[in-house]
Amino acid sequence: MTDFHPQVKQLLDGEVTLADLPPELRAEGEEALRLLAAVDREPVTFPALDTRVIEELRRRRSKAPSLWRRLVAPREVRLRVRPWTLVPALAMAAALVVLLSRPESTPAAATVTVRFVLFAPEAQEVALAGTFNQWDQAATPLVRTGAPGVWSATLTLPVGQHQYAFVVDGARWVADPGAPAVDDGFGRRNSVLSL
Amino acid sequence: MKTFGAALLLALVAGSLAAQQDVTARLAGRVSPDIAALVQQLATSAAERGLPVDPLIQKAIEGSAKGVPADRVATALRALSGQLDAAAAALVQAGGAQPDTDAIAAGAFALNAGLDKQNVTALALAGRPANNVAATLRVASTLAAMGVPADEVVELVTQVIASGGSTHEVLGLPAQVMAGVSRGRGVTPAQAAAGLARAAAARAGAPGQNKPKGKP
Amino acid sequence: MPDHSGVSGGGPRATDGHVVRAILAGDTERYAELVTRYRDRYARYAARMLGSADAAEDAVQDAFVRAYDQLAQCRDPDNFVGWFFLILRNRCFAERRRSKDTAPLEAAGAVAAAERAEVPVEMAERRRALQHALLELTPEQREVFVLKHVEGLSYGEIAERLNTSVPSLKMRMHRAYDRLREQLRDRA
Repeated sequence: MTDFHPQVKQLLDGEVTLADLPPELRAEGEEALRLLAAVDREPVTFPALDTRVIEELRRRRSKAPSLWRRLVAPREVRLRVRPWTLVPALAMAAALVVLLSRPESTPAAATVTVRFVLFAPEAQEVALAGTFNQWDQAATPLVRTGAPGVWSATLTLPVGQHQYAFVVDGARWVADPGAPAVDDGFGRRNSVLSL
Repeated sequence: MKTFGAALLLALVAGSLAAQQDVTARLAGRVSPDIAALVQQLATSAAERGLPVDPLIQKAIEGSAKGVPADRVATALRALSGQLDAAAAALVQAGGAQPDTDAIAAGAFALNAGLDKQNVTALALAGRPANNVAATLRVASTLAAMGVPADEVVELVTQVIASGGSTHEVLGLPAQVMAGVSRGRGVTPAQAAAGLARAAAARAGAPGQNKPKGKP
Repeated sequence: MPDHSGVSGGGPRATDGHVVRAILAGDTERYAELVTRYRDRYARYAARMLGSADAAEDAVQDAFVRAYDQLAQCRDPDNFVGWFFLILRNRCFAERRRSKDTAPLEAAGAVAAAERAEVPVEMAERRRALQHALLELTPEQREVFVLKHVEGLSYGEIAERLNTSVPSLKMRMHRAYDRLREQLRDRA
């Protein structure tokens, strides 16, 4: 006796209206609608919550500095390392292109964030030039990271195929030793990045 | 007949004028006048043959940015033009209508990466109809650039597609080959690729594998 | 061939996927963007599931912290919010049943709203009664009721989000209707 009639349940589900119910179920239908009318749909907001979350995360990070490194789970990072020497004076080795994510699907507007890393301890400046920046070495300088001799730049690139090379001290064009390489048509090699 | 011919000529001229303005804009300030003129010439000719113009522009900009002497750039541009032609011919061999410029550009890149015209045709054949021919060719180029021999590249890519591999799987092949190389000691890219091809073939042959791809 | 002129900039609003990947790349401060973006998205859901706005705020905060910790395991960064919802949902389900002692607090809140003439007293009381009745349901029953009748989702949308079937949701909901009726009659 306490269970709602199946047709009243349809009313509750919004599949029929009160008018669709037979007269003997009207009262029960109205009871059901009063139940729904008592549903609290008021919006709820937490204005202070983002501050609290960030403070909480900062607090934990200061206690355990390795926390953020744990965030970058090893399996997300693909390293390709091959030791290589350009000339003894420069002794560049182990350029790493760290691919940070692969989109699961490839919609037209997908992008991928990629970090380019070059170990060039003798260099004064390092730049990245490629099809994504019109080969303009001024567009994407690498910056020194914390580790000595290690330069890096992070770019967000559209999904697709890109060619690039590093430019050391504004003059020496160096392909990425860890990446697939193709003839650039000028007697040098370009590195290929497929996203 | 005469008016028809004149109208057609006008249309061609108008079309190539527009194309030339686009080329001029892209090259402005980036290449020498001589190179710009050569690119214009090659681009107009390419456009008329249904070939993509963008790779020529890119290559000219690249050469200038690298400080390459003008005659060297010119040589490279002519070589690229030839590759675009060859790629288009290889794609036509694979059947279908006029190949799209994206596929031709990818095909030219594949030729540059060490694949030959027969390889391009074979990949284009495999890449139809569901998969993207241009994407298939770019993956193949990357594999070739990684050091996988051309025949192995074609074998691997066609095998994966034939066994029902999605575009997503094909796109993931370079990473898989790389993983195979870094996992095994002394495993060459060729060996890693061969292993993946065998796995794909086995998948294709195993019973109950005809599951539809994609989200339910 | 796409034109690769220039490095891509921020644009109007970065997608969830873009921000997630930036965070995983080391730009961890950007997590604040996601928190601000979705801070209130499921606030109401949590409040109705837990019966208290305070409990809900704690749950949402915990869920954001947990999502940060597990961000590398988010399989579909472009659907961060869907993944976040599941984390919050687990948190709501795990919440120990609030004791009956919270009832007076909620009643006070409801009465206060009535005094501010936002809601008629009778309506506030009926809301409170229904919220209590909801808390007597199983979490699964409460959830399907909240998602449909508070959040306004269709059965199909709920089924997709919870990865279940419409018929099983309806079964759950119909049992919920009966139990709610029973609860409200007992209180009347």
